[in-house]
Amino acid sequence: MRYSELTRRYFESGIGAGVLTGPAVGRGAAGSRAGGTWVQFDIAIACDIAAATATAARETRIGAARFLAFACPHTIAAAAWLVEWSVGKSCIAALPESVHEIAERFEIPIEKLGRLLIVEDAWLAAGRAAISLSARGITMS
Amino acid sequence: MSDAARPDAARPGAARPFGARPIYFDYAATTPVDARVAAYMAECLTRDGTFGNPGSRSHAEGERAHEAVEAARRQVAAAVGAAPADVVWTSGATEANNLAIFGVALQARTRGRHIITCKTEHKAVLDPCRELERRGWSVTYLAPSARGRLDPARLAAALRPDTVLVSVMHVNNEIGVIQDVAGLATLVARHGTARMHVDAAQSVGKCPIDFAGAGIDLMSLSAHKAYGPKGAGALLVSAARGVELEPLQYGGGQERSLRSGTVATHQVVGMGAAFALAAADAAPESAESLRLAALRERLWDGIRVLGATFRNGEPSDCVPQLLNVSFGDVEGESLLAAVQDELAVSTGSACTSSLGEPSYVLRALGRDERLAEASLRLSFGRFSTAADVDHAIMVIGHAVLRLRSIGGLCATAN
Repeated sequence: MRYSELTRRYFESGIGAGVLTGPAVGRGAAGSRAGGTWVQFDIAIACDIAAATATAARETRIGAARFLAFACPHTIAAAAWLVEWSVGKSCIAALPESVHEIAERFEIPIEKLGRLLIVEDAWLAAGRAAISLSARGITMS
Repeated sequence: MSDAARPDAARPGAARPFGARPIYFDYAATTPVDARVAAYMAECLTRDGTFGNPGSRSHAEGERAHEAVEAARRQVAAAVGAAPADVVWTSGATEANNLAIFGVALQARTRGRHIITCKTEHKAVLDPCRELERRGWSVTYLAPSARGRLDPARLAAALRPDTVLVSVMHVNNEIGVIQDVAGLATLVARHGTARMHVDAAQSVGKCPIDFAGAGIDLMSLSAHKAYGPKGAGALLVSAARGVELEPLQYGGGQERSLRSGTVATHQVVGMGAAFALAAADAAPESAESLRLAALRERLWDGIRVLGATFRNGEPSDCVPQLLNVSFGDVEGESLLAAVQDELAVSTGSACTSSLGEPSYVLRALGRDERLAEASLRLSFGRFSTAADVDHAIMVIGHAVLRLRSIGGLCATAN
């Protein structure tokens, strides 16, 4: 299979692959290895005064993120891109682009959209976990 | 915090020239035409050469072409233990398989409509069988053992009074397992009503073949797997055993009226020359067989240390040119993508679509879906070297460890 330049770049670099540890890390995973696609994200919320405010969930920022993926090159590339993009951004439980836009960005065939939905599910789960920690005042030291 | 796969990690193959072609490990898919073969073929193309129609024997040009075709027929026959009269030229093994399967089925349709084959056959056998099923024939697909061999007792149990054809391949294209086709042919002959067809597309130059001695009725051959041209093949139709086929195409009556159409002189001359050269390498004790077996074991020894690696096919059952390995804890498409800039290999996934299906051959051997997908077939040939193998070990090792790390299945990739 031919892959786009962007897909190859993120797949080959594997940038952002790994795990985060510590109390301020929200983790979310989706899919299964047995099913052929599994993705996990770790999101750590940066220490921020805004975290103490009533609108903490919307204003907390992502201090670091990592991913693990047992998946095809397109899925790994999308997860790596997402992790790279996210640092410093507000932590909200949403993708920065729709699944279709990400598919277009990486030239992912339509048959593989289901795998991007697994990326989305894992990202949303990690985001919700991070926001929940942040709401309790737990952030990266 | 730990980074599983650093972007600055050293990539394998840095010492190879930038833009170098991937090292070729896909000789089971096709081989380059031997330069000597190409020279013989070129002599049959232009005005100064043997360009005549081999069917036009009323003049010298046609007669010369006819003689070249017949010389090639003798070369092919000699390489596989057949009589020259057995050789029917085709465009390749796929056409030969179709001619054998449809030819027997149609010719024998009033006697019976049952065919037996194996689940691990090439699509060029399975698809004609499925088409016959759609037309009302009954087909039994036998499962091989976990080692890939067909148990003769299973074949014996499957034979019925209305069985007209048994089709079993000699050397499996994915795992390299050699079937005991002589033993199976004996069993079929004893049964009495069925013909035995063998797809031997992968066999020439890799292991000995004795068409007549094995008592086989029909055998498909391919030129391009043995350093000959693509678009050339043959079906051996045993004249001595009185095999009759219904032709699939008409017009001209060439090739005993079994395959009408002008014979492509340059193609069959190339096939004959390629087979004559390859036949010397077929014996297990030949220098080339021993060299390739050593390369195969060198590669396996280098790969097995990665752990969770599974060899598909027992080496004692297989041709020396091929190693098929399944990798645990690695996703198949990513594995291929991670090595394909450096290595030209085949995968356990049929990548005819973006969602590749796991290999049906490996699934039939009992490999689970993930392992069947995460498999690489590396096949060697005349131009393979120990340095190539060492590079492959490095590339595959790096890829597997990196992907396992990204998948959270080992501590570090680097």
